[in-house]
Amino acid sequence: MTENITDRSVSEKKSVSETDVWASDKGADLGILLELGSIGAGNAATSMSEIFQEQILIEVPKIHTLPPHLVSKFYQKHDVPTTAIYMQLRGEADCDMLLLFEVEEAKKIAAMMIMAPSPEDVDPEMEASAIEELGNIVIGSFLTALSDFTGVNLVPNPPQRVVDSFDAILDSFLIKQLLASDRAIVFDTYFKRADGNISGILMMFPSRQLQNVLTEKAKKWVTGNG
Amino acid sequence: MWTPLFQRLFSINTLGANLTKIPQNSVNSPTATKKHFASQFSQSVVVQNHAATPIEEVRVNMADMKVEDRPVALVTNIGSCVAVCIHDAINKCGGLAHIMLPSSSVTHNKSFPLKYADTAVPALTEALRKMGKSSVALSAKMVGGANMFPNMRSITLNIGEKNIEAVRQALAAEGVRLLAEDVRGNYGRRVSFNVADGSVCVRNGNGEVKEI
Repeated sequence: MTENITDRSVSEKKSVSETDVWASDKGADLGILLELGSIGAGNAATSMSEIFQEQILIEVPKIHTLPPHLVSKFYQKHDVPTTAIYMQLRGEADCDMLLLFEVEEAKKIAAMMIMAPSPEDVDPEMEASAIEELGNIVIGSFLTALSDFTGVNLVPNPPQRVVDSFDAILDSFLIKQLLASDRAIVFDTYFKRADGNISGILMMFPSRQLQNVLTEKAKKWVTGNG
Repeated sequence: MWTPLFQRLFSINTLGANLTKIPQNSVNSPTATKKHFASQFSQSVVVQNHAATPIEEVRVNMADMKVEDRPVALVTNIGSCVAVCIHDAINKCGGLAHIMLPSSSVTHNKSFPLKYADTAVPALTEALRKMGKSSVALSAKMVGGANMFPNMRSITLNIGEKNIEAVRQALAAEGVRLLAEDVRGNYGRRVSFNVADGSVCVRNGNGEVKEI
């Protein structure tokens, strides 16, 4: 199941033209962000391993930055039912973070978290609560890494969960992003465990201010003046 | 291995029935809810209408527009954005625009006119008038403008509402009559616009299906 999803997304991503997407191998600032993502994911993996009582690895294999209105075209998941955890960050710089799972995947994760024998046994309210908590952990760990690196103080609001089709969830964020800047930053994340992988998408919609801070930091880091 | 295949077959089979009406009394039973859920989000590319003839679906992306004179269904998913469906009943053609923002004046970057209501609606009507080769009376239907995250602090400055208003004004300025609308709420919608007869089928996030 997971492999199918991965294959499909890889093959269909090509439909968005190369010039629209900046992949992680282009540009030093993206390389830095990818590094940040990996550090954040490392923190998250440690917390998750404690919850699940087994070893969990999170990989952030790819980072993309692309114009906001092309994000849904890029993923080609228009009608796919999706569970999303949304966290809004306040503080010195604004940022929206979004963690997305397909509904079935979210159920599987919730079952793992509350140690239910199968996804069908999970109470919907328990699922909601578990998934929100997961969002809190993953996004929180990511933010810690981001905060440490940039020195920007980021204060998250409590997580909110929403279930709808992929495109419908995204478009509210994309509208805001269109107003703020012309780029959205998207990480593909994979949770690895003994029984197989679970794939999710971590999206970051930084404000223009935060983007500037990140680019500045990245430049300094590369030239060795940081 | 068998489960996804089974679900897929199952959901396509139930889709025809689902389009007509979901029986109220069956919604509460656990099996019915499951059925309902599977068909609500089914990913089939072929939709059956009442006459059970499959219609080809053409996907319209965000900040994009499609105009068709073949008998197809234009499909898009909508949250806070607004989908404007304009139909030319005489020439049996129609177009759908996925509009994201109310006005092109809010941004310095005007490279993408189809993002904005005040530029996308004129572009759509012009394309349709060209396609129909006459300036016939066009009619419009509007879907979307939801507020997906009611608790979100000022995230989109209630952009859904502004989008709805901007589309109304743009349509009035173009002299296009607004026949029907399905707007607001806090759920996403899947819009399927049948270009041949001008009907718009809306399936919302709660799984309700209606035709406007």
